[in-house]
Amino acid sequence: MSEAAAGGAAVAARSGSTREIKRVLRLALVGLAAVAAAPYLLDTYTVNILIRSLLYACVALTVDILWGYTGILTFGQSAFFGIGAYACGLAFSHLDLTPTVAILAFLGGLAVAAAVAALVGWLAFGYGVSPIYVSVVTLVLPIVVTQILFSGGTFTGSSSGLSGFDTFDLSIEAWFWIAGSALVILTAAAWIFVHSDAGRLLVAIRENEQRCEYLGIDTALLKTLLLVAAAIITAAAGYAYAGFTDVIAPELAGFVFGTELVIWVALGGRGTLIGPVAGTIVIDLVSAYLSGSLPFVWKLVIGLAFVVVIVALPQGLVPVVGGAWRRLRRRPASANGDGLPILQAAPPRPRLVGADGGPAVALHGLSRRYGSLRVLEGIDLAAGAGELVSLVGPNGAGKTTLIRCIADGHERSGGRVLVQGTDIGRRAPQRCVGFGIGRKFQTANVFETLTVAECLRLARARRERPSPWRREASLALPQAALQVMAATGLDRQLGTAVKHLSHGMKQALELAMVLALEPSVLLLDEPTAGLTKAERSLIGGILSGLARDHGLCILLVEHDLDFVREISSRIVVLHQGRIVLDGTVAEVIGSALVRTIYAGEEHAIAGAAG
Amino acid sequence: MSAQFLDIVTTAAIFYVVAAGLLIIFGVMKIINFAHGGFLTIGGYAALIVTQLGLDPWLALPFAALVGLVIGALVERFVVRPLYARPLDAILATWGLGIIIGQLITIGFGREVQFVQSPVQGAALVLGESYSQYRLLLVLGALLLAALLAAVLHGTRLGLMTRAVIMNESLARGLGINSGLVRFATFSLGSALASLAGALITPLSSVDPNMGVPWLVNAFMLVLVSGASLVSLGVATLVLGGAQVLISAYGSPILGSLTIVVLAAVILRIRPQGFARE
Amino acid sequence: MTAAALELDRVSSGYGEALVIREVALSLAPGEIFALLGKNGMGKSTLLKTVMGYLPLAAGAVRLFGEAVAGLPPYRLARRGVAYSPQEQALFQDLSVGDNLRLGLADSALFAAGLERVGAFFPFLPERLRQRAGTLSGGEQKMLLVARALMARPRLLLIDEISEGLQPSIVQKLAEVLRAERAASQAAILLVEQNVHFARAVADRYAVLKRGEIVDSGRLDDAGAESRIVRELSV
Repeated sequence: MSEAAAGGAAVAARSGSTREIKRVLRLALVGLAAVAAAPYLLDTYTVNILIRSLLYACVALTVDILWGYTGILTFGQSAFFGIGAYACGLAFSHLDLTPTVAILAFLGGLAVAAAVAALVGWLAFGYGVSPIYVSVVTLVLPIVVTQILFSGGTFTGSSSGLSGFDTFDLSIEAWFWIAGSALVILTAAAWIFVHSDAGRLLVAIRENEQRCEYLGIDTALLKTLLLVAAAIITAAAGYAYAGFTDVIAPELAGFVFGTELVIWVALGGRGTLIGPVAGTIVIDLVSAYLSGSLPFVWKLVIGLAFVVVIVALPQGLVPVVGGAWRRLRRRPASANGDGLPILQAAPPRPRLVGADGGPAVALHGLSRRYGSLRVLEGIDLAAGAGELVSLVGPNGAGKTTLIRCIADGHERSGGRVLVQGTDIGRRAPQRCVGFGIGRKFQTANVFETLTVAECLRLARARRERPSPWRREASLALPQAALQVMAATGLDRQLGTAVKHLSHGMKQALELAMVLALEPSVLLLDEPTAGLTKAERSLIGGILSGLARDHGLCILLVEHDLDFVREISSRIVVLHQGRIVLDGTVAEVIGSALVRTIYAGEEHAIAGAAG
Repeated sequence: MSAQFLDIVTTAAIFYVVAAGLLIIFGVMKIINFAHGGFLTIGGYAALIVTQLGLDPWLALPFAALVGLVIGALVERFVVRPLYARPLDAILATWGLGIIIGQLITIGFGREVQFVQSPVQGAALVLGESYSQYRLLLVLGALLLAALLAAVLHGTRLGLMTRAVIMNESLARGLGINSGLVRFATFSLGSALASLAGALITPLSSVDPNMGVPWLVNAFMLVLVSGASLVSLGVATLVLGGAQVLISAYGSPILGSLTIVVLAAVILRIRPQGFARE
Repeated sequence: MTAAALELDRVSSGYGEALVIREVALSLAPGEIFALLGKNGMGKSTLLKTVMGYLPLAAGAVRLFGEAVAGLPPYRLARRGVAYSPQEQALFQDLSVGDNLRLGLADSALFAAGLERVGAFFPFLPERLRQRAGTLSGGEQKMLLVARALMARPRLLLIDEISEGLQPSIVQKLAEVLRAERAASQAAILLVEQNVHFARAVADRYAVLKRGEIVDSGRLDDAGAESRIVRELSV
């Protein structure tokens, strides 16, 4: 592509991104106009109910961001709603209603909610904690908060709560405008955020958190920040709810309300923003109208619809309804390359080198045990820049475990791992990436629903913070990554969803993503497994080039000795958790020991001797 | 002192009975059945029907188990089976089922609190204490249930197949075990156990359409800290149930009601496998 | 002409879109022992899993005694007389020796008869029925694995790398057992192996699998077969 064409396309891409944002802002304006007009068009009862529904919808939006986009199933958003509501109700019941009190109560409620959310994040996203634990904690949280409110005696009003306190002297219309414009603005902001470069990160975490960590992204911190942000928005909605209704009760913080939010989001359509908002408003409004005549039947209908949607339509109702409309109206996304970033070469960075110019990676007395099983024992190994060291050995020799011990400080049982002279200690994978480690997994470990360009953008997130509101028009990648993309043709597939790539292309994409980290030590676990012959020699050529021309230190696990022979500068043989041979290609391939290990035990030794 | 001891033992027994059905479903199918509370409620209302018909209160137990078995079988076939590959969605769908069960019961029986006749009344003198005979009987019931489950799991071909599926489903299939059938049988049995438990606990308090929910939450936490082991469940109910009794007595009833969920959450954070061996 | 015990007709399969084996064709007569050789990662285990119904066929057909069995789940194949020993996690470590053997049968009532047969091959088994399988030595576990596969008198055995990591005397013993079983029951046996010497000691024919394709095949007693195989396995 010529410079001029590339420049033109970049402008087109940027304008694609800004055009979408402008469209959303226009829609938001229409929404605000509707909010302004609605109180004059609807009867007072409906307006009254809608204020509550709109506030609930704000909370549903946070559930959708957490669960629909990021995969954090939370039953506990109600707890934060209750915290906000009680901040208002308690302050106004026990203190005089002055602007200062109102503001301090508001900020105090938000701060408590944020602190609790941070605690939940710390509990749920610690190292080695099971992924379902966050759902457990968020289930426990509303139960605990409710019980605390119960035990508050006259201060909290116990099980009946508090009501009739002095509150803001605002008209129904004003409350409607506050709730409605808050919802419109939040929805628009959330839409812009989830469609931005940074927003793709949420989907990436949901899909493959491990890969995110190995791209150097601190997913635990990000998820905690999301929880905190969601808690703050929810607490603000709760504060407004209490100010408007003049009632607070423990049920606001309860587990049933928490699960109802999940139901509304699921029915509307998780991961669609507009679905949860519409679902919440419709269900809450209808509930209010039917609460007199058919309360139980309506709840039964909701329950039935929920089960049917979860089993048969996991994407929810709004996408189904909207699908037909969209098919009529919208042009197929990125059919003309619109919105795709332009690849650029990132300025070369000085390569990290150890202070003493020593080996790129050095292992001292490394061991790994699982209970009494010794998988690795007394591993001493050093490799320098420009070396391509192949690790070979039979199944169960400990090759993949060795790779894992270099990339994750928690993995080893004993010994030390130095990268560029720095001890990795017990650091998590995302920190090891910072020392210059890049790990490619055995089976292609990528983000299936993202596009090629989005995957690469995430791989660069460490170097260039992704924009939280738009899609950048260009994507700068280091030479080595560009080379892999050009050699495999990935550079012509930037807009393709990864799930539509062939197996070989996924392997190449993961390699390009790892190279986009600009590692100084590259760990590759069977990069050619399942590839065709042509693909294998292509990857082999690229790897030797990376070591030779880019000075990378490459550790390669490989079964195929033909392949190893062609590209390695050194071969290390692992057997039963120990290094049994470490030498040049000629030394190792010709060795009788290797024949023994690979062929038939004693007999082969006899054969080799004879 | 001895009253407290009896409280601990009987409380643990009640929790054991309530959580056993949830545990075996979790063990075999690796999904949490959030309709467990609904099945408990079904059992409670089955007992209520028996009372209203003026039948022998003991009949409530087989009747509740039978109703649970049939409904559980239908639920497995039409709701749970399509969700094997989506365990989180299975939680949500079974929670939805719990709502459906609660609403159907409300429509059928009204939402008010009702009482069930207890098959055994009065107190017995144990360890120098006059103690509720029915609660003591529940200890016997829990022991019987544990023995029965152990006998089925360790003494029958079905139990052997079930254990094989728990340990390694893929290998079990290669040895000729229809693991889908084992899952179906397990879910039906687990639902029957839940309803049986519902019928067993109702004489202690009362029935209402939402009676299952608080039990569900405690049972869920107990199962999470027990893994797939009935022995761990025994330990967990004794330790956590015991803590609940003591904290209620010496702290406050409100703290007591939080004991199991909070302690279980703390245990799981420190030791993800909880009371299970590995 | 009697139908082949197992016939693979240009079978391709793998994981998702990644094909691990491509157009493999082979056929075993009843009473024949066949060794599938090759290095790690060449698709041998994938082939057995495909035959056993764990993986769907991408192309081709699998026939068991003349009957197409593609699409049947593993348990249906087991009930048609196929015994499969996977390479990894092949025993229920926490179950007793006796329970592991019982799981080799469709009906526990046949246990006594089955135990008598496999006990003749492995006399230690009847004495240690209550021992937990995970506490057996590595060699004993492999013998238990073979015993379990033989419990139900299968018509076809699929055995994945049974000789791996074993001392020669046990390898020898397993070879004798498999040949004796074949002589007694006319079972067809498909072995996946890397140990050429074990393969030679037990099998009649062989094929070498390389990157999912058969690159060499023949009779193991042919002159030159062994040296060709060893070269293929060790390079």
